[in-house]
Amino acid sequence: MNIRCFQRNFSAAFPPLVPLQLPSPMETHLWYILPDEVKNSALLNQYSELLSPCERESVSRMRGDQLKKRALLARALVRTTIARYQTNCQMNPRSLRFRKNLYGKPEVEWRNEDNFNPPPLHFNISHTSAMIACGVTVNVPIGIDIEENQRRTKNNIIAFAQRYFSPYEVKVLTAISDPEVQRQEFIKLWTLKEAYVKALGKGFSAVPFKTFTIRFRDTTMRKFHPPESSVSEESDIVVESSEDPTDPAKNWRCALLEVAGSHYGAICVEKDRIAGENAPMKLTVWKTVPFVEDVCVSGTDAVLVLGGIIEQ
Amino acid sequence: MASSTGISLKFSPLSTSFKQNQVPGICNVNSVRFPSLRMQPGSMRLRVSCAAKPETLEKVCGIVRKQLALPEDSSVNGESKFAALGADSLDTVEIVMGLEEEFGISVEEDSAQHIATVQDAADLIEKLVEQKSA
Repeated sequence: MNIRCFQRNFSAAFPPLVPLQLPSPMETHLWYILPDEVKNSALLNQYSELLSPCERESVSRMRGDQLKKRALLARALVRTTIARYQTNCQMNPRSLRFRKNLYGKPEVEWRNEDNFNPPPLHFNISHTSAMIACGVTVNVPIGIDIEENQRRTKNNIIAFAQRYFSPYEVKVLTAISDPEVQRQEFIKLWTLKEAYVKALGKGFSAVPFKTFTIRFRDTTMRKFHPPESSVSEESDIVVESSEDPTDPAKNWRCALLEVAGSHYGAICVEKDRIAGENAPMKLTVWKTVPFVEDVCVSGTDAVLVLGGIIEQ
Repeated sequence: MASSTGISLKFSPLSTSFKQNQVPGICNVNSVRFPSLRMQPGSMRLRVSCAAKPETLEKVCGIVRKQLALPEDSSVNGESKFAALGADSLDTVEIVMGLEEEFGISVEEDSAQHIATVQDAADLIEKLVEQKSA
């Protein structure tokens, strides 16, 4: 049976996913779902049908209904997101297979069949109790991390930073006198550091947090963009590796957003050689309830750019 | 951000006999990966110790409960997986930091990465406490 071009047969109950072109090499797509908006149990059952038996088992092992729902939606989001992107023909979200790379980073396992060129699609997900997000790029690896902007740490922030962050970052945080602002900046920094490590895909021990610094740098880029352009004028975000001065860290483009007013989101993407050193990250963001509604929220209040050179 | 990995055991080429804990329910090995063993003198052999003291386990459960704000009646034991309890990576790092403070140890990033269950954490703590006092 030819599973690849499985178009109408797989579920009569579902309207088809609106097909999309793959992001171009310079684009990043971000999809997010708000679990609190998904209450219909028939819909949740339909999502469950998309999962592999192994994924369903993982979901069942989560403790409590909220965690189960979150795990289910995370898998449904990944499968439906990837299946949207038209390749030779529309992928069936149920037939996608996943595996982990050597270090545990999830990736799509494309089947090697004749005449089927798998799209060079990369993805990464992150979730909190109130949001699940999936970032997608083409050709280049991506890492994302989201945190609730109200998130509080149990430990003292500076003690935590001293233990895990780089000296420069500790200095920056310590210099902030307002505790609420300090907390916010800490969470933002955490998401950026997580996103970078996840983008690298080599596991946390390969790039301990202390070995790299993330900082904001005022950019001269703003001179080159006309006022009516949709390029944000926030500071650029720079990753510096303390281990390697010749710096693979220069190859990464980072973005910091506030999403839906409730979450900080960090995206880290490897720079595409064609796009060039200083090209902005072209970002498109959708809020989705798969099979029900997709809303493009780029350029609205739902996506506030806090850092990075972004074009929406 | 939650991530879950199976347990992987780290072993040194110099270690000796394979010990298996006799008490059911305490030693919980989900998956073991190791290269083929050649039975020669001085060859690589695996040492597994799963014997964290009950008090250690209890303290770890307490720290985990507190970090994740779990209700008193929720069951947390050695087999509980952090990811299944809803711990994301920030929680996990905070838990590790709490454990370091409680037990006076220092946990390296690469050891922390392999902690998937409460038992893993307890075993690691015992090992580090032992190394400290050695």
